[in-house]
Amino acid sequence: MSKKILVVDDDPNIVDYLTTLFEDNGYTVNSASDAQKGLDLAQKEPPDLITLDLEMPGDWGPRFYRKMTQIEQLKNIPVIVISGLTSNQYAIQKAVATISKPFDKEELMKIVRDTLG
Amino acid sequence: MFQNILLATSATKACDHAARVAFELAARFQSHVCIFHVLGVPSRGFSQMVVDVRTGETVALDDDYKAWVTEEVETYYENQIKAHQIKSHNDTDTQVAVGFPHREILRFARENKPDLIVMGGSTDDPDLSGYKKNMAGTTLQRITKSAPCPVLIVNRPAASFWGGISNVVFGTDFSKASDVSFQYAKKIATSIDDGELNMFHSVDISSAHSGLALSQDEIEDQLRDARTKMRKRYVSQLDGFKNYSIDVWEGLPYVEIVKYAREKQADLIIMSHQAREVEPEKVRLGSNMEQVIMRANCPVISINRHTSALNK
Repeated sequence: MSKKILVVDDDPNIVDYLTTLFEDNGYTVNSASDAQKGLDLAQKEPPDLITLDLEMPGDWGPRFYRKMTQIEQLKNIPVIVISGLTSNQYAIQKAVATISKPFDKEELMKIVRDTLG
Repeated sequence: MFQNILLATSATKACDHAARVAFELAARFQSHVCIFHVLGVPSRGFSQMVVDVRTGETVALDDDYKAWVTEEVETYYENQIKAHQIKSHNDTDTQVAVGFPHREILRFARENKPDLIVMGGSTDDPDLSGYKKNMAGTTLQRITKSAPCPVLIVNRPAASFWGGISNVVFGTDFSKASDVSFQYAKKIATSIDDGELNMFHSVDISSAHSGLALSQDEIEDQLRDARTKMRKRYVSQLDGFKNYSIDVWEGLPYVEIVKYAREKQADLIIMSHQAREVEPEKVRLGSNMEQVIMRANCPVISINRHTSALNK
């Protein structure tokens, strides 16, 4: 069974791009446009990896991560931060990687493959 | 909680993080935001020649120039002002003054009585002042020391990435000033639906403060005593509020507070300024407070002795 990735991002263009990229590489993809929807979806269908935007309407990425790590079944899911903000690498200390927009898809896929094995 | 927020800004990139937090808070608490900008310092006395802090040019000050700068500041924050009007149905206004920034900000705060002053980090070019990297700027020092209300500081860009406030860390040294901070932290945590209050004390074990190398038994005795003190002094006043934690760690206080806030993924730290100093005029911003402000991964609210009225 293919591994599942949850994309949490409010930009539909990024969601489309990442969904296509991950599906082309054999992963199953779910997406959410804000932190609350992302949490609900993650609880309903726990993913193997989450890509997370920082700046979103409502709660930002770090608050999503905090809430996620307070849920037993979700707390160890690896997170990759994908954001255009400067200093984004300091936002979520325990993220497996931080990627700045615009990003190189090969670089992202390497991190995804390394993380998911 | 925050009906009036004063955003003291240089209207440059150095204040972008602070502006982000100010407008987020304002949206959450439906606050009025006053954007306050000190455009420059007169070249001498009552001279009309002023060095504009944004452009670095010496200009002849008149009403037209002030109006132009006001418009520039409003243009700089145009998107946030518009979004704020839609989100919170509340207004913003922009005020421009001339003079030394700290003096004008304090004067404006005394006259207009905001509930909170929001400030960013130093506007100094980091390349030109490398040795100052871990020091708060003089404007920040003076305002946190003398402000008539709490001051929220956002120094690192990463401190502005939360999008809200609910997980509050209150750092205490058990002083009277810390009691004021406690009341303030409690007020914030209990006024928010998902508010959480994490109370923290650090036992200072650096030899300069403890005088000698403490044995582990002594350290753990101090930790236990501090926990008991926190229960007596603060937990007893929580009036049934359940979403709290108390922690005491040993180490270098500012390092431990920053680590604790990071571990708790806190989105706000509240501390009292220069809590142990008897004569605040003699000292700069307390070193622990200063270092927490500079290093924290979330906004920091500094409360000084002038805000003690909050406690009443």
